[in-house]
Amino acid sequence: MTGVLLHAEHVTRRFGRFKAVDDVSMQVQPGEVVGLLGANGAGKTTLIRMLLGLIAATSGRVELLGGPPDRQRRRRLGYVPQGLGLYGDLTVRENLTFSARAYGAAEPLLPSALTRYAGVLIRDVPLGAQRQVAFLAALAHSPDVLVLDEPTSGVDVLAGASLWDTIRAQAEHGAGILVTTHYMQEAQQCDRLLLMADGRLVAEGSEADIVGSTTAVAVRTDNWARAFAALDRAGAPVMLEGRAIRVANTDPAELAEVLKAAGIEASLQKVPATIEERMLILARGAKAS
Amino acid sequence: MIVKEFRELVRDRRTVAMLIAMPLLLLVIFGYAANFYVSSVRAAVVGPQASRAAALLPSYFDVTLTDRSGDEAYAETLLRDSKVDVAFVTGRTPVLALVNGSNLFAAQSTVAALNKAGREVTTQVLFNPRLKTSWVMVPAIIGLILTFIGTIITSIGLVREREAGTLEQLAVMPIRPSQVILGKIAPYFLVAALDMVIVTVLGIALFGVPFRGNPFAFALGAGMFLFVVLGIGVFISTVSQTAGQAIQTAFFFLLPQILLSGMIFPLAAMAAGVRWIGYLLPLTYFTMISQGIMLRGAPITALWLPFVVLAGIAVVVFTGATLRFRRDLAPGNPASPPREQQTAAEAVNTA
Amino acid sequence: MNYSVRSATVRFGSTLALDDVTVEVPAGSVVAVVGGDGAGKSTLLRALAGEVRLESGTVEAPPRQRLGYLPASSGSWAALTVTQNIDFVAGIYGLAGDELTARRAELLDRASLTPAAGRLAAQLSGGMRRKLGFVMAIVHRPSLLILDEPSTGVDPVSRIDLWRLVSEAAASGTAVLMSTTYLDEAERAAHLVVLDSGRVLVQGSYDQVRAGFPGVVTQTSEPVREEWAWRRGRLRHEYWPGADPPPGATLAEPDLQDILIALSLARRHMVPS
Repeated sequence: MTGVLLHAEHVTRRFGRFKAVDDVSMQVQPGEVVGLLGANGAGKTTLIRMLLGLIAATSGRVELLGGPPDRQRRRRLGYVPQGLGLYGDLTVRENLTFSARAYGAAEPLLPSALTRYAGVLIRDVPLGAQRQVAFLAALAHSPDVLVLDEPTSGVDVLAGASLWDTIRAQAEHGAGILVTTHYMQEAQQCDRLLLMADGRLVAEGSEADIVGSTTAVAVRTDNWARAFAALDRAGAPVMLEGRAIRVANTDPAELAEVLKAAGIEASLQKVPATIEERMLILARGAKAS
Repeated sequence: MIVKEFRELVRDRRTVAMLIAMPLLLLVIFGYAANFYVSSVRAAVVGPQASRAAALLPSYFDVTLTDRSGDEAYAETLLRDSKVDVAFVTGRTPVLALVNGSNLFAAQSTVAALNKAGREVTTQVLFNPRLKTSWVMVPAIIGLILTFIGTIITSIGLVREREAGTLEQLAVMPIRPSQVILGKIAPYFLVAALDMVIVTVLGIALFGVPFRGNPFAFALGAGMFLFVVLGIGVFISTVSQTAGQAIQTAFFFLLPQILLSGMIFPLAAMAAGVRWIGYLLPLTYFTMISQGIMLRGAPITALWLPFVVLAGIAVVVFTGATLRFRRDLAPGNPASPPREQQTAAEAVNTA
Repeated sequence: MNYSVRSATVRFGSTLALDDVTVEVPAGSVVAVVGGDGAGKSTLLRALAGEVRLESGTVEAPPRQRLGYLPASSGSWAALTVTQNIDFVAGIYGLAGDELTARRAELLDRASLTPAAGRLAAQLSGGMRRKLGFVMAIVHRPSLLILDEPSTGVDPVSRIDLWRLVSEAAASGTAVLMSTTYLDEAERAAHLVVLDSGRVLVQGSYDQVRAGFPGVVTQTSEPVREEWAWRRGRLRHEYWPGADPPPGATLAEPDLQDILIALSLARRHMVPS
């Protein structure tokens, strides 16, 4: 299958004077898993809703499977929202039957891990299994595009890994997948990342591209509690890292002065920041401006 | 889509109960209880010709008391204390028939029957001379409002805590379960009491309903009744997970009380098989108290039965309800396993 | 003051939620509990909070006055404002007057909630609501703080804020026990506990857990034994508990995610480790 699956070109969406999405261009190709990152209010949900055709763009072009996102094209789309979209008072099997019929697909078979839940009400099933069922429901009609909202939020590592197995398998079959996540471990599973802030696309590419030139300082000291307190008092964005301390986006020299003034011995090292630290800096920058 | 909705409906037991049980209940009630025709009334005959007069009365009048020495004042007391519904005072011409106007349908039937007696009997309706429906309804409606607030509103307020998941937090804090319960019920108690005062005053002002009895006795009766309905409200909240369920359950408690407490259909006119249900309902007893005090000025001693019954129901219901509530609140009870991540992911809504 | 549960066993009906679990929470450190659905994380936290009774074992916890708890659910009252929420809880713990005003201002500032002080809790974003719950749990300066999945579903920026708040609490001497599904948080904790089906799979500092991890993990695109492999990015990782991978296989440096999955698999295949 060829052709771009999801396409946004200079898309803007306004609500009154507020720009929820501001001149964003992106695409998702077959066979790739794209991760969409961003703080709350960054515009991720609005962008997705435009890609799904739930709301219209104020300006710019949105394409789903080569054309405007209408009901016909949505038949080849699989969507798992954060709330999973399952009916709590129906059993697993009943939920799958309903979804399959709604899309006109054959009912999916339950994998061995889930067979014991077949007749159990969805709300009585643990979250990891619920997510698996939601996936099955979304995949029953063999969609070409998948849009997943926080697919492994709140789920343990083993179940999460198995969900990602499913996602990867779909990509290998040629589907294109757009995932939103707050979970950095999950971001690392994606082929490509998109970082949004204040409605704009701020960075794009690999993890290194997202972090960009943001750095942090790792502080190693025996007296971590006092060091933490001293740096915190000085207004630095301090974080615990086991028994070491990290400070995002600061000059080591400044920190060294603070620590010396407090009489604390420590070794400081400049290291690349994490994605979250980049997001933290962006958020602080937005607040300041 | 249809199949799905059916499946969900079947799982919703309370709605199913409402769909099936409610029509059946209504049918039974209307079949056996709905009856405005009173077939007989309790009568007393006093005065010198008491026994002779009693023998002459048609079977409609069920003579339960004859007293040769009694006079008009005594007859009035009998009616005030609701010992009989009509009292005949002999020893004068024409014979005087005093009718209890607070028992509306009985009074209407009795007056109709007495009118056939012509000039031999003079009829006087006490307490509600013009047999106005509003005078009889307002005391009953006061009880209905208290029931409404006590059961529905209270249970919703309490269930809100359970829905939000904050009950767990209260359980771990250094407060005692009794403090939580009292703190939660107090506002509803005050609101209900205020509402009651407003309705009573309005009833008196708008419809001219009298208030002949002791306001303290009335307040006492209302207070006890309030405890009963609040207890029911707490109980409903312990068996409901959502506000919707609470309302449905409260409705089950409310509807029988409207229909079977004597507010609409007189108890005496109901088939015995259904009447006993009325005697289980707290609203029946409060209506006895409110009508007795407001219309007849009856003293507490005459109303001892409803007071005692209400007190008994209040103790039972409230104790049961608070015990159940404490079970939910009190730590150390592995009543149900936590729904770990499910609650966390559900509760936290990213904007 | 060290708090702990020792040899704790908890049963719900016929389910064994905790099976002979011993966890210590020393003052001034953060202990993170990880594990899957039904592993027993919430039960362990509730046992320490005194909300759940043990079938056997002991609990060393401070009196409720000195305990702070943030449950997995919302943690705040939706119809009250941020300030009213804090005042309500503070009142229960006996804080009032100027002391309360000062403490509230301090905490709101640290949690970056000051501009939202008059907003209803229901109108806060998920992350801000969680931070409010946290503030409510520490308003009375507890000596033991128990947090049930404080950052699940929360945006990354608020998550960092929460972690900083937790760090500050630990730095000032509070003992902190928290459960999490985020492994980066678990790695950052001083001590981590891995639960699986109610039992402790492994515990210690991250370095200790890594050092004590038996066997090796290989990185491959075609695993030899499918039931011992899992996906990481575009490749698979495979676990060899007996440290006997096929010759020429690429070894991977296992991170916490690898370790957790490997240990869970070992338990499922019932290999004595």
